[in-house]
Amino acid sequence: MEKTIKVPKKPLPSLLTITGYPFAIIFSIYSFFQVGFNLEDFKRNWSNRRLVTDTLFNPKWEWAFENASQALLETIQIAILASILGCFIALPLSFYASKATNQTTTTYLIYKSFLNFIRTIPDLFWAMLFTVAVGLGPFAGVLALVMFSMAIMGKLLSETIDSIDLGPLEAAKASGAKHNQAVFTSALPQILPNFTAYFLYIFELCIRASVILGLVGAGGVGRIIETQRIFLRFDRISPIIVLILLAVIAIEQFSVWLRRKIL
Amino acid sequence: MNIPNQPLNQKILKYLITVLIVVGSIWSASGLEITPDRIFSAPGKIWILISAMFPLDLSQEAIDRIVPKVAESLFIAWAGTVIGAIFSFPVSFLAANNVSLNSLSRITKQVLNIIRAFPELILAFVLLPITGLGPLTGTLAVGIHSIGTLGKLSSEVIEGIDEGPLESIKSSGGSKLNELFFGVVPQVMPTITSYWLYRFEINLRASAVLGVVGAGGVGAELINQLRFRDFPRAGTVLVVTILMVLIVDTISASIRRRIIKGREIKV
Repeated sequence: MEKTIKVPKKPLPSLLTITGYPFAIIFSIYSFFQVGFNLEDFKRNWSNRRLVTDTLFNPKWEWAFENASQALLETIQIAILASILGCFIALPLSFYASKATNQTTTTYLIYKSFLNFIRTIPDLFWAMLFTVAVGLGPFAGVLALVMFSMAIMGKLLSETIDSIDLGPLEAAKASGAKHNQAVFTSALPQILPNFTAYFLYIFELCIRASVILGLVGAGGVGRIIETQRIFLRFDRISPIIVLILLAVIAIEQFSVWLRRKIL
Repeated sequence: MNIPNQPLNQKILKYLITVLIVVGSIWSASGLEITPDRIFSAPGKIWILISAMFPLDLSQEAIDRIVPKVAESLFIAWAGTVIGAIFSFPVSFLAANNVSLNSLSRITKQVLNIIRAFPELILAFVLLPITGLGPLTGTLAVGIHSIGTLGKLSSEVIEGIDEGPLESIKSSGGSKLNELFFGVVPQVMPTITSYWLYRFEINLRASAVLGVVGAGGVGAELINQLRFRDFPRAGTVLVVTILMVLIVDTISASIRRRIIKGREIKV
C-alpha cells in the first residue's frame, strides 16, 4: 500500500520578516539619496582621477625612507604601548563585567555599561579628545588606543569569562579560597589562552588604527600622511601605505605563529 | 602527591613573553617620551576637558546643526554596508574553496586581503579628488572596505557548510546552480545576514570619524568645535553620537540574536 506524507505547512512569516525587509529596502534607497548619489557630479569629477592615479601609482620611495621612517617607528611604538596597557587594564575589569565571576548585580552592571560606553566612541574621537586634553603628540595617541583596546578586550574577554567552566571555581571555594583567590587560581588560567589570542588580535587592530591617529595630531605616521594629502602628494603617501601593509602582514604572520605555539 | 612540573619549553616561552612585554612597553614609552609625571597629570587634564563640556549646549541652533550630521553618518554607514553586502555576496562564492575553482578562490582571497588592508580613512582621502567633498566619498570608502571584510567573513561561512544537502541535490539531478541556490544559500544566509548587521555597527563608528578628512558625517563637526574651543557644543556632538551608536547597537544586536537563534515556533 502506498503511503503519502503531507508536507507540513510552512509557518507564517514573522512580524520581523514582514516589516524588516521592506524597511531595509526603503531605508537603503533613502540612504543612497541622502548621501547624494549623483551621476552628474560623478561625471564632472571623473576627469580628476588622473590627479590621484598618476601620483598614487608612482611611489617616491627615497622620500618616504628619509622622511617617514622615524614616524613609522613612532606609530609602532604607540601601538605596542597602547595595546599592552589597554589589554592589561581590561583584564581585571573583565572579571567584574562577567556574571560568572561577579555575583553582585550592581557592580556587574556598572562595569558592563562602562565597557559598553567606551566602546561606542570611535578611536579617532578619543584621539581628538585627548589631543585637546593632554596636548598634541603621541601621548594623546597612546591614550586613545588604550581606550580603544580596553573596550575591545573588555567585551571579548568578559564574554569568554561568561562561558568558563564553573567547576574549578566552586572547587576552590569549597576548599576555603576567598572569592578573589578562587578567581585568580581557577578562572584566570582558563581564559589565559584566549587572552593571549585576543591580545595579538588587538595589537594588529592597534597597528592599523595608529596609522590614522596622526590625522588629528595624535602622533605617528599619520602626521606625515596628513600634511602630504592636503597637497595631493599621493606619490609620497603610497610608499608609506605599502610599508604599513608590510608591517601589518609581518605582525599577522608572527601572531599566527605565536597563537599556534600557545594554543 | 606532587604536582607535575611544567614542561621546560613552555616555561621558557612564558618568561620570553613576559620579557617581551616589559621590554616592549619600556622601549615604546621611552621612544615616545612618556614620563610618569605626564601619566599622572593626565587624569586631571582629562577631567578639566570633561567638566568644560558640561552643561551641554542644547540650544535649538546646536541641535539643528548636529542631529542632521549624526544622521548623515548613519546614512553613510547604512549605504556603505549595502554596497559592501551587494558586492561581497557574489564575490564570497568565488572566494570559497569548496564551491569555486581552487585557483580562482586563491586569487579572489588575495584581492580581498588587499582591499581589507586599506583603512576607510585612507580610502576616503584617496577618493576625495574624484568623488568630491561630502558623504558620497565616505559611503564609497566604507563600502569598498566592507567588500573586503564581508567577502572574507562570508567566504569562510560558505567554506564551513554541511555538504550533505549539496550531495542530495546532486543525486536527485540538480545542476551546479541548483546546488548553490538550494544547498548553499539557505545554509549560509542567517550567518551572513548577521555579519552584515555586525559590519553595519562597525561602519557606524567608521563613518563617524570620516568627517575628519571631509568625507561627510559628524566627525568634521566634532573636530571643528574642539578647534574653536566650543566645548559645550563638542560635548553635545559626543553625547548625540554616543546615543545614536548605543541605540543602533542595541537594535542591531537583538536582530542578530533573533536571526541566529531563530523564532520559537509554537506547535
